[in-house]
Amino acid sequence: MAATPNPTPVEIFESGDSALRVVASSDDTEANWATVHALAQWLETAGADGVHGAVPTYDSLLVEFDPGVTSARQVRAFVLLGLRQLEHVGAPARTPRDFSVPVVYGGEYGPDLERVAEHEQLSVEEIIALHTAKSYVIRCLGAPAGSPMMDGPDFPLPVPRLKDPRLSVPAGAVAVAGRQAVIAPAAAPGGWCVIGQTPLTVLDAASEPLVPYLPGDRLTFRQIQPEEFAEYAGRKLEAAR
Amino acid sequence: MSGSLIIQQPGNSVVTDLGRFRGPRFGLPVNGALDQFSARAANILAANADNAPLLEITALDFRMQATTDLLIAVTGAPLTLTVGGRECQQWEPVSVRAGETVAARRITGGLRAYLAVHGSVEAPELLGSCAPDTVVGFGLRLSEGTELKTGRSVGPIRQPYFDLPLFRLGLTRPEFGSRAVIDVTDGPDVEEFGDTAELLYTTEYTVSARSNHIGLRLGGALPERQSSAEVLSRGVPVGAIEVPSREELLVLHRGRGVTAGYPVLAVVTSRSLDTLAQARPGHTITFRKTTVPEATAKHRAAIRELENLRSRVSTIFALLGIGKEPGWPELIPAAGS
Repeated sequence: MAATPNPTPVEIFESGDSALRVVASSDDTEANWATVHALAQWLETAGADGVHGAVPTYDSLLVEFDPGVTSARQVRAFVLLGLRQLEHVGAPARTPRDFSVPVVYGGEYGPDLERVAEHEQLSVEEIIALHTAKSYVIRCLGAPAGSPMMDGPDFPLPVPRLKDPRLSVPAGAVAVAGRQAVIAPAAAPGGWCVIGQTPLTVLDAASEPLVPYLPGDRLTFRQIQPEEFAEYAGRKLEAAR
Repeated sequence: MSGSLIIQQPGNSVVTDLGRFRGPRFGLPVNGALDQFSARAANILAANADNAPLLEITALDFRMQATTDLLIAVTGAPLTLTVGGRECQQWEPVSVRAGETVAARRITGGLRAYLAVHGSVEAPELLGSCAPDTVVGFGLRLSEGTELKTGRSVGPIRQPYFDLPLFRLGLTRPEFGSRAVIDVTDGPDVEEFGDTAELLYTTEYTVSARSNHIGLRLGGALPERQSSAEVLSRGVPVGAIEVPSREELLVLHRGRGVTAGYPVLAVVTSRSLDTLAQARPGHTITFRKTTVPEATAKHRAAIRELENLRSRVSTIFALLGIGKEPGWPELIPAAGS
């Protein structure tokens, strides 16, 4: 987690009787992201009666609480206290870990690869080269099931979502949409363009935590051949060091 | 003494609790009993902790057999409850003798019933909760022959005179019916809908058959978003009302994906989420605007009512000797010692 010596200003919105939305409202997207994640971490560590937890994404944070124990007003004060603390002491720094993800691109593993290439007016090889070129920062854990949400590869154009979302996308699907990239930890319906699949097991419901990465960790993709899929199958995704 | 119960006709039933409150930070929905009031009440009537694992029975007939004497309580949607063929009351503790069959049939008016067993039932946990998660593929869905281990056995309690109801617990049961008024507060993105947001309060919506624990889909006149700027994925609360398509209003419930990129028009209050949990396809929903302080006050009133129920139940059960572990009571040190 990047240290945030100066958290950005935030706006706090009511979101029903059991949640608040906190939005970092500066022009610096990187600082916004660092602020909401540092704040989420502070809220977890500090803990307050009746506060269930916080869900940080890009520039926003959903803080959920039990209205029988605490209230929107009290939780708002708790959030503001956290921000003042972060201004004084900064966020606790965590060394990011690196994950390397083998991917079989195209064919039955990536049914939308050619469509994406066509849309970007690039060759399939160029799409794969761009997708494997970059080290991605995991921005947040999203739906479904702790998906690693990442800023997308450096394609020329944003990738449109499927007009008809698939009823089921398999676990391990490697997908892109808009300017975002993701791996599906579990089978679920999805409207993102699937360009490949990793044979690694991302989500292990028998272990805690369920997924091995946290926001702030880094991830790279590397191409493997379809023949190698079985060799990796069943292995768990693990940090490189 | 522990025992077990054996599922004979599962219908659509699972073992659940109040939810996986640590889930959302890991990208997992909270899940858990959709009608939280009824689930808490069932556990309280069975002298369990509010969050103890219990059975959620949705829509379809259910039957099980007890292998030991048990004490159970059934709450939620109105249904016909029989134990060993005798008709029994919902919303009160019910004795079941070893070998007897418990049947919950003809769920009407609502959609979900809750069956708690004194001493609870054993179920695997994920992040501290047994609540099923259909996306991760976790949880105990009941099927014919499933055997559930129960925590404690309780000898039969029976009113000796004419089988009159044994308990007068004075709990106000929730109302069930085909027309529900749902309280909502303004969502954080209400302004994005401009004047069309008012449609939410002037329209009668119909519950679609495509509704489930993830969300209810409602047909009717739809508020429309006035801008088309892309929204970054962000955490959305349970109860969030979104307009993702031109066909239906989506009201997210406890199985909702934790993040989404649609603006939140309004948010259903905690109390009204319980009401929505009981809405059947075809039922009519209207929305009423309220404030967060009022919603909080209503939620707390319901919790107080459940706490009162708990204290009455524990008084009665203490007199009957139910629910006490053998052992010495904790002694208060004498003054001055």
